[in-house]
Amino acid sequence: MNRTRWIFVIIVVVALLIVATALILRTANRPGEEAENSAVAITVDRPEALTVRVLTSLPVEPWVRNAAETFNATQPNVEGIPVSVEIIAMDGLTALGRWDRNEFGALEAGVRPEELTEAARAELADFPTVWIPESRYLVELANASYKERLGQDVFLTDGEYRARPIATSLFTWGIYQTRAEVLQTHFDEISWQTIHDAAVAKGGWPDLGGDPAWGYFKLVVPNPSKNVGGLHAMIAAAGEYFERTDIGVADVTDSAFQRWLGELMGSVTDFSSASAYTAEDFALFGYSVGDGGQLLESDLLQNMEGILTRWEDPLNLYYPRYVTWFDFPFSIWVGPETSALEKNAALDFQRFLLADAQQQAALAYGLRPANPRVPLDATGESLFVKWANRGVESVVPRADAMRNPDRDVLLALLRWFELNVAE
Amino acid sequence: MSTQSSHPLNLPPQKPAGRQNIWITVGVILTVVMCICGIAILVLGGRISDTLFQPDEDGQQTVTTQPGSASLVIAVSPSMAPTLESLAQQFNSENRQTPDGQTMVVHTEAVDPLKMVEESLAAPEFQAISPDSSLWLNQLERAWTTRLTTGEEAGAMIPIANRRTGVPVRYAVSPVVIAAWESVALELSWPQEPVGWQQIQQKATRDPDFKWNHPSTNNASGLLATLAEFYAGAGLTRALTEEAATDQVTIDYVRAVEATIRFYGEGEDVIVERLAVEGRAFLDAFVAQEQTVIAWNQGNHAENLVAIYPAEGTLWADHPLALLELGGPGETPVTDNQRRTYQAFVEFITSSEAQRQLLRAGFRPADLSIDLVEESGSPFAHTTAIDWRQPQTTLQMPSAHVIEVVQNVWWYTKRPTNVYLVVDTSGSMEGEKLARTQEALLAFVAQIQGDRDRVGLIEFGSGVKSTLALQGLDTAGRDTLNQTIAGLQARGNTALLDAVWEAYLRLTAANDPEAINAIVVMTDGRENASDHTLEDLRQRFANSNGTPVVVFTIGFGSEGDLDDEMLETIARIGGGQYRRADETSIEELYKVISTYF
Repeated sequence: MNRTRWIFVIIVVVALLIVATALILRTANRPGEEAENSAVAITVDRPEALTVRVLTSLPVEPWVRNAAETFNATQPNVEGIPVSVEIIAMDGLTALGRWDRNEFGALEAGVRPEELTEAARAELADFPTVWIPESRYLVELANASYKERLGQDVFLTDGEYRARPIATSLFTWGIYQTRAEVLQTHFDEISWQTIHDAAVAKGGWPDLGGDPAWGYFKLVVPNPSKNVGGLHAMIAAAGEYFERTDIGVADVTDSAFQRWLGELMGSVTDFSSASAYTAEDFALFGYSVGDGGQLLESDLLQNMEGILTRWEDPLNLYYPRYVTWFDFPFSIWVGPETSALEKNAALDFQRFLLADAQQQAALAYGLRPANPRVPLDATGESLFVKWANRGVESVVPRADAMRNPDRDVLLALLRWFELNVAE
Repeated sequence: MSTQSSHPLNLPPQKPAGRQNIWITVGVILTVVMCICGIAILVLGGRISDTLFQPDEDGQQTVTTQPGSASLVIAVSPSMAPTLESLAQQFNSENRQTPDGQTMVVHTEAVDPLKMVEESLAAPEFQAISPDSSLWLNQLERAWTTRLTTGEEAGAMIPIANRRTGVPVRYAVSPVVIAAWESVALELSWPQEPVGWQQIQQKATRDPDFKWNHPSTNNASGLLATLAEFYAGAGLTRALTEEAATDQVTIDYVRAVEATIRFYGEGEDVIVERLAVEGRAFLDAFVAQEQTVIAWNQGNHAENLVAIYPAEGTLWADHPLALLELGGPGETPVTDNQRRTYQAFVEFITSSEAQRQLLRAGFRPADLSIDLVEESGSPFAHTTAIDWRQPQTTLQMPSAHVIEVVQNVWWYTKRPTNVYLVVDTSGSMEGEKLARTQEALLAFVAQIQGDRDRVGLIEFGSGVKSTLALQGLDTAGRDTLNQTIAGLQARGNTALLDAVWEAYLRLTAANDPEAINAIVVMTDGRENASDHTLEDLRQRFANSNGTPVVVFTIGFGSEGDLDDEMLETIARIGGGQYRRADETSIEELYKVISTYF
């Protein structure tokens, strides 16, 4: 073979080698192949954009969504990469159920995203960056669930990424004024016991001195399977029943208490209601579905305008003795499912929410600012100012705060509800 | 001696220069091509193969299509269907685009709420639902949960989520009321005295001329009216339990009330159509949404309706809209674009303008900033026929389980039915038409579930071919009916009037005034073989002093083959309805007609 032919053969061999190498590299990266094939190094590209996905509990969702739009409009970036915040509304208990079942697809212990196939990595694209549940204890319950599975917390309680409350609100009685006056005349004060006794009045409102047209007493409590507020209403009722702030499994399984609670919950008109937004329903259907109930102060304030516009009778707020607070912790997922850049972008959004401007904006949603620099009357838009004549109080008069329930109490109450009320 | 031509310098012979260049050129071209291929594989290969060949669940490579559909189908209750369709058309006219350039389109499809629930459980053809009440969503979730949790351990998991529907949205509401002619309401002491379910039920029981109606339990109005009867029968206003609903005293009471029902039906929309034709002669009162009263009064009619808000309490039709979480085996998952369309449509129908349109259509808009009285053009202003301050109270909605019990027990309390299926088996019915008819008849019989209901069958061609007397619907009766239906054979002409005449004689001879007595007659052709005339039939019905008989007529086929006028006339004589069907809709039509019994 002469030299020219050798050169030709060498060129062809080199070309074949290039093609073969390309195919090998491609095969190694193909989805569905065994992990050992992915030994070839993967270059992690700098993303073109970052999305911060925020699972947001329902009471703060309107405010956080509005804040996210404002934040996005500022064209934020992290290390020069554009950031956008996406809000996903989800009740805290529903989200906890999904964390429990790992429906968001957290990785197993020790698995890194770089070790995944392309398809598996793509599935992480929708993984939540942040969770804002109603209360810190829901974060603790999720942590407990993942600690069992992964051996570590997934939401930190200290350090830079710790869960920080972004606003607060508490449960108050919201009762139509005419009905409240009859209750106060008949029972003197408004409490769970008062509501219970009204609920079991055989003849309904006429027995209590009310208008026969009102029918029987109708309590408004959110459906616990759709709104964590329903669960807290039951816990608050238990607190008053036992005159304690810490409620255990033995309390909620006490037969006398369950009978009392059953009578109380028996006065709820409709648990089949589709919506988890109970105060909104309260406004939409008025006194026809509920004379009053213990609901989140912010929800009641947000819907006060609608209640007054749509119905003849005004609604007033009354503060209970045993108070349940929601603190809406901004909790950043610390696992490897989200990148450091995404976590930092989430922190930026958290700072944005806690800054004075957004804390003042929260007042227009009836939320109490977490930032102590912002008073409840900081703006003219504050619902605490607007509805002062409806009984809203800046300083909560009584301070017996209910302790957060543990998982067993929560499960016991939910099961009792499913078996005795929902069925 | 050979002579050889040789190079003068005796150099070795050379290859032609052109051949050598070709080898090198070919080699270089091959190299370049292969390099390009290699680079292309590296750079584009992943993208191309990911697009065209995606592994399915079994790891097999399968060809997939672009999941870009932005077309959303919403199943909507018939009472809301016209309004939502109008809004959907406005939405579609805006030609909204998804980020990848697909046009967002919303289609609506009117479906009975009960059927909506059933279809939503398994690979429905729609991606979102809007029944007339949340109670249907609850029933759907209950059925879905039962399906999912069978055999599942309770464990320590939070027993929430895994829902069939996403978070629902309300865009309009309307309370269920007793709609009555103003003069009828005044007779009931409205508005001075509170009027409730009991007054209506007493009036119907005492006054044989009082005609009232509630739809079947397939929709919210019918279900509420039925629940109200059970509450009244049990002497309760809340906490209706299975025991109370199935107590004999309750059942006897409900049965007595149901005996006063003229007939059941699909819903208020159909009732209103008939009111427009027959007026006061059709009904004195019926159960409907408040919106129906408003819509009627917006038309130019001789007499207005008024909304009586039942004193014992009522129920709200709250018209939730929810996206179905499809994606199970055999189901096409909801695409991202369909979710975007859904979200955009939700924003559209909850926008200020759409909410005002809903108000003008007679619904109470979900937008609480809209004042029902102060809003310009509000139908709630300047009228006594409806009252925005009402209802004062509602009946307690029982659990989904108790509702199911009520729905089942209702079949044992409802007014019984004697119905003759009069079926054209003339020669033109041969083939596919007869096969579809047989399926439809079987479906009709399956839908009739009352323990006191009876069904008979008259087959006609050139005359009455065969008659099966009224059969109770126990196992033996159903078997006999089903065998008779299976044995139908097509031949002969069309003696339509003689067949109706025969059915009428048999029903009047049965002399069962407590029951709804009805004829459902179907033909695919024109009358051409009867001894009786239409006038004979008219006089027979007009001169009857006995059991009233209602006639539903079905024209099966195309316009040219049918005598629409005659079929309409027969239905009018019999106080029923005429409807047309084709091979795809005949079964559904028979099912719809079955709701009247």
